Amino acid sequence: MRNSKVHIYRGRTNLLLVIFLILLVLVTGRFFYLQIIKGDDLRNIRENNINAFEYIYPKRGRILSTDGYVLAEDRKTFSLAIDLEQKPSEDSIKKLSQLFPSIVDFDETRELVRKSLNSRKPEIVIEKLDQEQLSKFLVRSSEFGGFSIIEGYEREYDNHPSFFHVLGHMGYLTEADVEYFSPRINSFDPSIWRKVGKSGIERVFEEELRGSHGKRFYQRNARGTKRVITSEDSFQEGEELKISINYEAQKLAYDLIGNRKGSVVVIDLEDFSIPVAVSAPSISANTLRDITSSQYQDLLNDSNRPLFNRAFMGLYPPASTIKPLLSTFALSNQYTTWEETIFDDGFFRFEEEERVFNAWREGGHGLTDLSKALIESSNPFFMNLSIRYEKNKFVNFLESSSFGSKLCQDCYPHQFSPLIDDNWKQKNFGKDLFKGDFINLGVGQGYMLTTPLHLALISGILASNGNYKLPYLAISNEESLSISTDMSDLDWEKLNKALIDVIYSPNGTGFRINAGALKLAGKSGTAQVVDINSREEYDEVRKNINLRDHAIFIGYAPYDDPKFSIAVIIENGESGGRTAGPIAKEVLEDLLDVN
Amino acid sequence: MLIDLRSAVILLSLVGIILMGSLTIYSVTSIDIYYFLRFLAINIFAIVLVTLFFYQINLNRILSFGWLFFLGNILLVLSVEIIGKEVNGAQRWLDFGFLSLQPTEFMKIAYPLFAIQYLRFYSFQFNPFRSYFLLGTLFLSSIPIIIQPDLGTGLVYILSGLMLLFICGLDRRYFIGMGAFAILFSPIIYNFGLTNYQKGRIISWFSSDQTLSEKWNILQSEISIGSGGIVGEGFLNSKQNEFNFLPEADTDFIFSIYAEQFGFIGVFFIFLLLAIFIVFTTLFSMTEKRLTDDLSPYYLGTYFTLVIGFSFLLNILMVSGLIPVVGLPLPFFTKGGSSLLCFSIMLGLIFSSRGFLR
Repeated sequence: MRNSKVHIYRGRTNLLLVIFLILLVLVTGRFFYLQIIKGDDLRNIRENNINAFEYIYPKRGRILSTDGYVLAEDRKTFSLAIDLEQKPSEDSIKKLSQLFPSIVDFDETRELVRKSLNSRKPEIVIEKLDQEQLSKFLVRSSEFGGFSIIEGYEREYDNHPSFFHVLGHMGYLTEADVEYFSPRINSFDPSIWRKVGKSGIERVFEEELRGSHGKRFYQRNARGTKRVITSEDSFQEGEELKISINYEAQKLAYDLIGNRKGSVVVIDLEDFSIPVAVSAPSISANTLRDITSSQYQDLLNDSNRPLFNRAFMGLYPPASTIKPLLSTFALSNQYTTWEETIFDDGFFRFEEEERVFNAWREGGHGLTDLSKALIESSNPFFMNLSIRYEKNKFVNFLESSSFGSKLCQDCYPHQFSPLIDDNWKQKNFGKDLFKGDFINLGVGQGYMLTTPLHLALISGILASNGNYKLPYLAISNEESLSISTDMSDLDWEKLNKALIDVIYSPNGTGFRINAGALKLAGKSGTAQVVDINSREEYDEVRKNINLRDHAIFIGYAPYDDPKFSIAVIIENGESGGRTAGPIAKEVLEDLLDVN
Repeated sequence: MLIDLRSAVILLSLVGIILMGSLTIYSVTSIDIYYFLRFLAINIFAIVLVTLFFYQINLNRILSFGWLFFLGNILLVLSVEIIGKEVNGAQRWLDFGFLSLQPTEFMKIAYPLFAIQYLRFYSFQFNPFRSYFLLGTLFLSSIPIIIQPDLGTGLVYILSGLMLLFICGLDRRYFIGMGAFAILFSPIIYNFGLTNYQKGRIISWFSSDQTLSEKWNILQSEISIGSGGIVGEGFLNSKQNEFNFLPEADTDFIFSIYAEQFGFIGVFFIFLLLAIFIVFTTLFSMTEKRLTDDLSPYYLGTYFTLVIGFSFLLNILMVSGLIPVVGLPLPFFTKGGSSLLCFSIMLGLIFSSRGFLR
């Protein structure tokens, strides 16, 4: 009996032991599989779970004026953020709201903390602390567990409104930006950039200015709250960029326009760089960074269009200021000579169509040759020439003067002056150009439109006897261009003389500029905003400021060795000579140091 | 007090397991070195004290109170329902302030004391009534554990009890019958007998959906184990623990942290120690020359040895993903007073019942 008990006891214990050992071998195999066969894979999973990195945003490159003033730079900012490692307690939220009673609301902050802990994102409580707030917090920072200071960079611009359009501004990356930059910037990764240049130099030189990100490697726990920084690759600061803008002259030009609307563009004739490009009205470049979206909407809807860059985008009829350029066309193609005269009685009668065109001066200029037509600005003279123009030659000439093509590679946004040819007219009016069109085109009205930048370039072309380069702000163009003319040196000399007389002859439309020692040559223009057929209508129109003519002036100085060419447009300024001319004079005086 | 070679081997393997367990507890909590020393001291102290206690008191005297232990333990388990502390949605703990006890753990000790007392009275002769009586008390006493709800402990308790009856010679037809019953009725038990919490754990084991939260624990556990590789990351270098990726790293999943630190070599070493301890202790008891008429000490010694062995096995089967997660402690590793005290009592009973320290 006892033996059979012992027998069963031993047999069954042995059976259990065997089961135990089989299971132990099985589980050893399992650990062998996990640790030796799958070990590396599983360790990789662990490392990926624990190790993470974040980008460190680089300091963007500075933008300097040609004379070394800082126009834009990244400044360090300090923001107060929620620290996920040590969650803010009710008590420390309360203390913080007591420290900054007007900025930090207790309930809002508590809600933000809750959101932040849920999303595991360190939300910002106060953006951009000023020095006083920063030191106030730092002195007692130990009392505010769960809040910490985060450093960042912010674009700071020269506050003068004249710089906004040239420099442009930064903004949050949008789909449209991705589309714009992808073909332009090598390996553009939209996921890691928050802000990009939206316009101006900031946009054109985004790649150079931006620098490259650093990386901060850290380890995190399963909840993502604890962080241990393991290593850091510092960022590479963006390149510093010097642009051709002249600090003082740019500000002066803007201030001279005052509270009117208009634009001033100057081209340095040595290399065709742009020392002045002003559009008014404007805003400080810092404004867009700080305003709310409703204030931004107000700016967009402002009828004075302060966000619109008139210098590179505004299309105006060049009016009489196109006459000197077209003179070279007429002379080269023997449509006229310096000797030919007509009698200007204040009208031009186009007999083919039985139309009569009014000129600006009642009674006309009398017996008029080309020089006089330029100096006193006779429309009938140039209208009379216009009907002789051959369409193909005229279009070719405009094309050689950079109509219909991009003028400036680093100006953004940019609009080219349309090339008026059959294609253009077919597209816009469904007809070919006809003779009558040339009468208006010949005096810079009708379909002819130019940007202030183009007018400054035309002035520069005249100053350098038909040879030119495309203007630039930061990177020069080496390609030399010239207009398709066949002018002798004597022709150029006479043309130059006529443009001098515009300013210095008592009959000249620019005599009142009183240019003095500046040695200014130029041409004024008055662009009609609406078509006017009679004196009475003209007086009617004058009452509405927005329908008054635009005042235009182009010129260059000094005339015996031209250094700068200029274009000034004052919208609704009426008289080119009296309104736009003096601005040109003062800006050029500043640039040339003439008193 | 003479210790022969076999006893020395058994003791050494046990000390090895306890030492590694204490070190791992320290590496997980890593509060300070005193915590480690205290854990080790309590462990050893409890084992020695309990062993000496049972050594001094005749086992016969303890067995004569078996029914009292059993009844008392059941009352304790029921009292947890009323005054217990809730952990993870289950009421399992009695809080004494200085010590939190899980009375269900001790049922694995109380039931065999009661069953052996009963069987000894009949000289370990089974008849249908005694068989049904013992099985009945086993299953009925498991109900308060299972409804806590603590299915894992309940199942382990039932399996342990069945193992005792198996060793003691219960007719094999009962086991075949219960096996068939379990297989036939498992769908019904699953549908009506389990809570969602328990179902979730079982579903997650069969499902390959990595997003299930139940799967997370097992996945992180496997990551910990695998990251150890062959030689391990080194003591105190468990990143899974440092960065809190492994939940319950100081209780049910502590062995994963051990595996991460000491690698396959460390795992193999522990398995070897475990095998040596279990096999030697069991064989020792079976080949004992002084097997007397009264087999109770041998039944109890073998039972407690195998309970320790299978508890260990179930835990590592669980952490390595071979069976569903069933909240089982790992002997001498898991942090917690009940588990420590429970396994210490078992060791004490093994040693005193076997008397090889004599």
